[in-house]
Amino acid sequence: MAARALSKSGRFDKVYKLVIGSRSASGVSKGSLPGPYPQTPEERAAAAKKYNLRLEDYQPYPDDGKGYGDYPMLPNRSQQERDPWYSWDHPDLRRNWGESMHWDFDMYTRNRVDTSPSPVDWSTMSKTLLGYLGFMLLMFGLGEVFPMYQPVMPKQYPYNDLYLERGGDPEKQPKPVKHYEI
Amino acid sequence: MSRYMADYKEAPLASRPKTLDPAEYFNLSPEYRRAEEERAAIRARLKRQYQMQLNNPLRKELIEDPALTRWTYARVHVLPNFKATPKTSLLGGLFGVFPLFALYFLFSSDRNKKEQQIKDGTYQRPYRLSY
Repeated sequence: MAARALSKSGRFDKVYKLVIGSRSASGVSKGSLPGPYPQTPEERAAAAKKYNLRLEDYQPYPDDGKGYGDYPMLPNRSQQERDPWYSWDHPDLRRNWGESMHWDFDMYTRNRVDTSPSPVDWSTMSKTLLGYLGFMLLMFGLGEVFPMYQPVMPKQYPYNDLYLERGGDPEKQPKPVKHYEI
Repeated sequence: MSRYMADYKEAPLASRPKTLDPAEYFNLSPEYRRAEEERAAIRARLKRQYQMQLNNPLRKELIEDPALTRWTYARVHVLPNFKATPKTSLLGGLFGVFPLFALYFLFSSDRNKKEQQIKDGTYQRPYRLSY
């Protein structure tokens, strides 16, 4: 940014540089990247300022070596839960520019994990599902143990059990087959 | 259907909007109000910064988001903040070391058994090797 400004020439250049200078620091400045876990209150305050959070709101992840550093621990709420009618800077992500992103932001997008409240509570849901599954399993199991179907018999064929069609000798007299009783 | 906040029922799969949260309107302490004001001030400052950049007619480049930069940096630079504690060692051993050796022994023993069967001639091939 500075190199481009210097390479230009003319009075317009000075105005342009003034405009750049009056903006907040852009690009990666020394203290703007995440760092290690804050040990002192001053470090905490600086980290809260860095992440655009109030000092009381800033809560880093516990320092147990998992690698979070001073990144803030934000509530585990999905983007779907956020107000759809507010004028977000990025409406599809329901997020404002400069707002600290959740560590699992890519998980909490609206296409993925959703923490919105469900229509009924968990116990009702699980009871309904398990009740239905249990009932169906029970009935199918009983159906295996006690089968019930139309009574059937082996199929009866005419012409002495189709003697000629089954390749029997035409000269010989077949054994007479009687499918009835009088 | 009444239009009052008290009668508002949340949509089935949505949480209650903050503007209809009764905690925002009743029994408010000055500390809560002050906190909300501070949050609103931060939000307004960021919004102003963004809008100034967005509507700047001399801007030719993309607006970079420092929060996004910080997020990607934090997600990538996990190793510098890693410490070998009992918990992390246990997790590392359970998910990294144990499956390595377990799967090695599982696969090698299974394949050795099959190889022995082929050598003995007792292995039934499910598919033909050639026609």
